[in-house]
Amino acid sequence: MSEEAAETSGLNEETAPLLRLSVRRLSKRYGNVQALDNIDFELRPGEVMALLGENGAGKSTLVKIVSGLVHHDSGTIEIDGKPASLYPSARSQAAGVAVVHQEYSSVPTLSVAENLVLGQKGIPPIWLPRELNARARRLLAGVGLDYLDPRTPVERLSVAEMQLLEVARLLVRDARILIFDEPTAALADREIERVLAVIKRLSAEGRSVIYVTHRLPEVFRLAHRVTVFRNGQSLPARSAAELDVDAVIAMMLGRELGTMFPARGSLSDEPLLRVDGLLAEGLEEPVSLSVHPGEIVGLTGQLGSGANAVVQSLAGMLPPLAGRVELKGTELSLRSRVATLKSGVAYCTADRKKDGIFAGRPIRENLSSPWVRAVSSGGWISGRRERVRSREIAAEFAIDVKRLGAAVGALSGGNQQKVAVGKWLGTDPGVILLEEPTRGVDIGARAEIYQRLRDLCSAGVGIVVASSDTSEILGLSDTIATFYRGRMIRILPHHEWTEDALVREVMHQEDEAPADASGAAT
Amino acid sequence: MRLSGAVRLPQGRVWDWLPLAIIIGLALAGIIVAVIITPSFLTVDNIRAILRNASIVGIVAVAMTPMTLSGNFVSLAIGQSAMLAMVCFVALVGDGWPQALAIIVVVAGLIVVGVMQGAIVATGLNPIITTLAAGAIIFGVVTEITGAGIVRAGDYLIGWGSSTVVGIPIQVLIFFIFTVVVSILMSRTVLGRETMLVGANRATARISGISFTRVTILAFVIFSVGLAIAGILNGAAFNQATSRSFPNLTIDAIAALLVGGTAIQGGHGSPLRSAGGALFIAVISSMMVLNDFSTGGRLAVQGGVVVAVVVLLHELRRRREVR
Repeated sequence: MSEEAAETSGLNEETAPLLRLSVRRLSKRYGNVQALDNIDFELRPGEVMALLGENGAGKSTLVKIVSGLVHHDSGTIEIDGKPASLYPSARSQAAGVAVVHQEYSSVPTLSVAENLVLGQKGIPPIWLPRELNARARRLLAGVGLDYLDPRTPVERLSVAEMQLLEVARLLVRDARILIFDEPTAALADREIERVLAVIKRLSAEGRSVIYVTHRLPEVFRLAHRVTVFRNGQSLPARSAAELDVDAVIAMMLGRELGTMFPARGSLSDEPLLRVDGLLAEGLEEPVSLSVHPGEIVGLTGQLGSGANAVVQSLAGMLPPLAGRVELKGTELSLRSRVATLKSGVAYCTADRKKDGIFAGRPIRENLSSPWVRAVSSGGWISGRRERVRSREIAAEFAIDVKRLGAAVGALSGGNQQKVAVGKWLGTDPGVILLEEPTRGVDIGARAEIYQRLRDLCSAGVGIVVASSDTSEILGLSDTIATFYRGRMIRILPHHEWTEDALVREVMHQEDEAPADASGAAT
Repeated sequence: MRLSGAVRLPQGRVWDWLPLAIIIGLALAGIIVAVIITPSFLTVDNIRAILRNASIVGIVAVAMTPMTLSGNFVSLAIGQSAMLAMVCFVALVGDGWPQALAIIVVVAGLIVVGVMQGAIVATGLNPIITTLAAGAIIFGVVTEITGAGIVRAGDYLIGWGSSTVVGIPIQVLIFFIFTVVVSILMSRTVLGRETMLVGANRATARISGISFTRVTILAFVIFSVGLAIAGILNGAAFNQATSRSFPNLTIDAIAALLVGGTAIQGGHGSPLRSAGGALFIAVISSMMVLNDFSTGGRLAVQGGVVVAVVVLLHELRRRREVR
């Protein structure tokens, strides 16, 4: 028995071990779109398999089939060598499959312990809080949340803690195949570390993990093997050790992606936007910086670092407590969003589903939403001018101009983001503010968005980007500012930064913090 | 057939017209059944009666549609507000006011009452609670002032409320014109677009510089105009009013709007659909009247049909979103 256990938890590349999950020649068609076309996919016991591909490549379709949400058209699925039927989801769960969703199913007002018994079988109808909390502590320890008081309401947890709580709930069901769908998309760096550590631990316990992500660096820190989907077809799984980021990108795109980040242009001396002593909720110290025409200023930090507060305040969404902002030499009022919009400030938020798009409305209406008044006279919309202008924008962003009547919610994440950014072009903005411009966006669309931002720069626009993705900030920006706990730490031209320095400064190790605080006091 | 290229889109067209087609289809099916089992159904008189019945509910449902589209759900003060307009109109005319002046004063008064509610809703109060309270206040005040008695136009016979224009009842004509005007307002103007977008996603609308306050207040203005028209038309038809006029209008108008397929949470639907919903309900209702259904039986069947259609539409919309 012990030998067998060692065999299953270890990953021996040479002997072909029993597969935990084996999917052969699987196909699934939606209407006239072949989402999956004879794909193969396998998962060994105790293995972390990264599942990569552009949006629309078929990753989420496979996840849906394995978790029992949709039925496949043809092909076979085996679990532990036996044919398995995973539809509907009750069967998938019984077979040991569990999905950690991007949206959490916890009840925010209930405590951690209460959430851990929700929907579980074998729980007596009446329980004592003491038993409940003791049980919760055991479960929390399994996902590295042992420091958490089980009585805490879930709404007080951080995003990463909620995610780990979700994992704890799944482990109660004794899940053997765990699917993580972009678990780190909404997390800051330090929180990512915790989630990755828990996933490693789960794999060491012999559980198998399917890890879907757009963040390639994580793949190499976590995954044993990598499967890439492209246009509904699968490429053979490869060991992560024999790949690098460029190789993976080439596999995903089916070609080399030249350079992800476009070349920088030259800057003029006269600042376009001058921020002097800006203070707003979420900032501990006043922030001063300037943006020149054609410049991309990148602000980076973890959640709550203040980087996003600066952008939101400049957008007119967070009333400033102090400071003065000048745009093209005249004072910019940050009183309201309407005021900043009139002055030519475009603003693209971090969470496009929440406040970046109108999912149920057509692409054309989304594109024209900030500038529909400009194509109207006397309150009447000119349908022709609206069509012409939105077609121009769609063409610039490689959005299919023939289908502008379709709802934006039906698009992939990357195309939704193109709409969310593209709509601002119609306002002829002087300054564009963006938060997390490529979160949950596939590589192809990312490159297109970066390129368009650079094009706008050459037209004299100034851009401020707040992002927790340090490689994005480093590759895209002309000038980079780091933020930590409500303070701007340093602002320097991009060539004076390295990714290491950037990550270190954003993380800002604990031991430096007291020294920093005393330094600020003197 | 794999779609290559940067963008993939599902076919959205079918799902856009399907709900409307279902309503029209059901109404037609209802008419065909009605014609077969009730020979008197297709008479000019009966058609006129159906249209007249649909008109008041239809005008109010059409007027409320912008409010629902903007994400402000529905009003629960519909019956009371229309009653207020009716009582005021009859009372003013009975007092010797010229009718044109009375109409202007009633429309303006209703707009004031509506804007007050709209302003409260725009500050963030729940529209359901606000309108529920407004309805209670209006009913209370009117009952108090009229002493729960009948207000009469007296010697001044208004009369035109029952007249026809080339055979078409005046209510039907106004219903038609009002529907066309509000539909154009919603589909062709900046206000209509902004109403739709605010209802589809209020947070995104705010960032795009669209004012929820403006949209909400203007939606209440359009709604109030519709309520005033409904009250004046009935006042002119009956020459008298009480604080208990329009007992079922609130529920009927909401049913017409929902049956038409306008989403209760906003951002999806149109005034035209609400008009269709009112007609559909009137057809069903007329069919049952002609077949001697009791009032209770009629209401129960009508309620059942409304629920069935709303569930069907909801299911269609859900499937469309899953895709």
